[in-house]
Amino acid sequence: MLKIKRHLIFGSVFLLGAMALGYFSGKSFMSMHIDDHIFPSSGLTENKMLSEYFPKLKKTPGDTPVFIFQGEQPGRNILILGGAHPNEPAGTIAAILLVENIHVQAGKVIIIPWANHSGFTHNDPQEGSPQRFSIRTQDGQRWFKYGSRLTNPIHQWPDPTVYINPSGQKLAGTECRNLNRSYPGRRNGNLTEKIAFGIMEVLISENIDLALDLHEAAPEYPVINAIVFHESSAEIASIAFMELQLSNLEFRLEASPPNLRGLSHREWGDFAKVKAVLLETANVSHGRLKGKPSASLITEGRDKNYVKADKLGRLFVPFKEEGIPLKLRVARHLASIEALISALQEEDPTKIFAIHGLPSMERVKIEGIGQFLAPPK
Amino acid sequence: MSEPLILLAMVAIFAFLAMALKLPIGVSLVFSALAGAILGGEGLALRHLVEGSFGYFDTILIIVCAMIFMKILQASGLLDTITSLLLKTFYRRKFSLLLSVMVIIMFPGMITGSSTCAVLSTGALVAPVLMKLGLPKAKTAAFIAMGGILGMLAPPVNILVMIMGGGVDMPYVGLTIPLLIIVVPLAIIISLWLGYKDIQILDQKHMQTILPLSYAKDYGFRHFLPLIVVFVLMAIQSLPFNIIPDIGIPAIFLLGSLVGLFCGRSFNFFKVTQAAIQEAMPILCILAGVGMFIQIMTLTGGRGWTIVSFLSLPPVFLYLGIAVSMPLFGAVSAYGSASILGVPFILALISKNAIFTSAALSAIAGLGDLMPPTALAGIFAAQVVEENNYFKVLRFCIVPALFLLAMGLGVLLLTPLLDKIL
Repeated sequence: MLKIKRHLIFGSVFLLGAMALGYFSGKSFMSMHIDDHIFPSSGLTENKMLSEYFPKLKKTPGDTPVFIFQGEQPGRNILILGGAHPNEPAGTIAAILLVENIHVQAGKVIIIPWANHSGFTHNDPQEGSPQRFSIRTQDGQRWFKYGSRLTNPIHQWPDPTVYINPSGQKLAGTECRNLNRSYPGRRNGNLTEKIAFGIMEVLISENIDLALDLHEAAPEYPVINAIVFHESSAEIASIAFMELQLSNLEFRLEASPPNLRGLSHREWGDFAKVKAVLLETANVSHGRLKGKPSASLITEGRDKNYVKADKLGRLFVPFKEEGIPLKLRVARHLASIEALISALQEEDPTKIFAIHGLPSMERVKIEGIGQFLAPPK
Repeated sequence: MSEPLILLAMVAIFAFLAMALKLPIGVSLVFSALAGAILGGEGLALRHLVEGSFGYFDTILIIVCAMIFMKILQASGLLDTITSLLLKTFYRRKFSLLLSVMVIIMFPGMITGSSTCAVLSTGALVAPVLMKLGLPKAKTAAFIAMGGILGMLAPPVNILVMIMGGGVDMPYVGLTIPLLIIVVPLAIIISLWLGYKDIQILDQKHMQTILPLSYAKDYGFRHFLPLIVVFVLMAIQSLPFNIIPDIGIPAIFLLGSLVGLFCGRSFNFFKVTQAAIQEAMPILCILAGVGMFIQIMTLTGGRGWTIVSFLSLPPVFLYLGIAVSMPLFGAVSAYGSASILGVPFILALISKNAIFTSAALSAIAGLGDLMPPTALAGIFAAQVVEENNYFKVLRFCIVPALFLLAMGLGVLLLTPLLDKIL
């Protein structure tokens, strides 16, 4: 009898503890489902949703805002994608910075800052990632979500054992939730494939000439500080590369491998026939060697493990005590975007493209990202 | 407090709780993780504890469903039928028996990339045969565990390589031969090493006396349906095109279990599932605890410190570091080892052929499934043969594990030569 009573007491305490754990952690998890704010510049001409290009995404967690800046004169059309991997914040922040600053006179710029919207609603288990990081603006801190490389399993589950992506590449099952392995997408596929399909629809229906996918990579990864280009954009990538070298910015120029399928730089070029380029900067916060993960690791980019790894010759970018801060990574993205646009214009000067308000790399490096972000409202 | 000190404190607290206070391993892991979070200045870190445990959510589901499936095979009489069939076929041929049984065990692992699936499905089928033919209980479990691990490594599906490939943008192409080079010789050597001495050649009369009751005549083809359903669905998943939607391994096992309800002896489904979950509970608790431990280890900087420490080893000791750290980290899970350590090691050996390197590293990471406290292959193989102390099983796995380690390291070292020849 005493034993049963003890079991009952233990069971009840355990259950109450589990309920409390569920409640408090659940509140924390649910907070990730609230979107950050973006304050577009007055140059914004249209604010659509991805589902307007591909209705099957409507009312799904994969639907995401599409910001359109249409110039008064027709010209080149450019797509800029951030947040395909929500744990690579320089891409997202660079895209948001553009939305909040640019004005287009000729041509069109379309920006999707949270390409994998679902990936922003959770963090990768066992990575210990912070849920948010902040950037000081002229009038207060703005907070941004730090998500996961993959779509939230709450939205897409279960993973298959082996994922065979729309281009027939065999990958580990979890990769079925990786947007940048799911191109060109599937009309009736899983959520991530539908997002990829929706982005392909944007590329095709908006007659995009140049499409840029903004990413980050860990410093131990070989494709880093890189311009990865589809063969159709080899010329503009090379011109941009040289221009960046002249500005003392070290980049790697990498051709998109034809046998590595499902990635934006391959499938956008093959299927939508656009000039596709993927840009990588160096981010320690999602690297395997990182020390204690924190919001400041994301923004300051300082990590003693990486300093040590650099000394050991294990990295593909130089990494010193001062780290690689977010403002520098965002500035590199902006410089690359500017160089690629300039190369595109050089390639065919008859097709005009005019944009202003694009924050310069030097100013972002010196003044910080916050100077170019609207204050929180 | 520095990262290594926090990690040391977490390990010490775990050891104290598990060994001195004799708390269950899973519970000890939870409390050591909690202590680590507090020592690391993260407070109770409730979100992190829950998030970490969810890293094993899919694995936990696979284990629960595979255990239910195994219990249903037992209860429906199919296990006895299969044992009877295998005994009748192989009782006179020791060599072909061992090799065939090894292939049978490996098969589910080959198509799912999971040793647990192999151990709990075909492992459970062949275990009674091996034991009836004279292989001791613990050795039988070691045979099954090693078969499961080799199946996990063998083509066409090696998830460990896929995980490492994903980290370095290497497509899963051209791996069949490197993986076969590793797996085929080991499958032969290990099955003979573990079984040849103990397996008895029987005469027909003796065989008849140990033959369990077969239900094949009573239920006919229907009797085998649970197995057919599971293997067909698993095989379809590994095809390079989508015939039917992928429902996932847990659902496949559950479907097989439901079919089993109508294909053999009658039994109480709820009692059987209850027994399966009861048996699986300790390992499920360990997995949740390990998930929390790793999350806090990462959160407090211990994981990064550990990886950089291994990468700091001088080049001559790099292989030693690989040989020690990858199986050790496999205590978390072989997949975790492939992702966390496999990727940096591939990059550290980037001058070598990445296909051979990743195949060799997967063989070494696969040993993680023998590493306590999770030791998925060892623990489930022990459960299959009803051996309470899984360390007895692991004892017999030591030499085969060394074979596997030697093969992995050998391929790593000989990669330039293999690259030239092939």
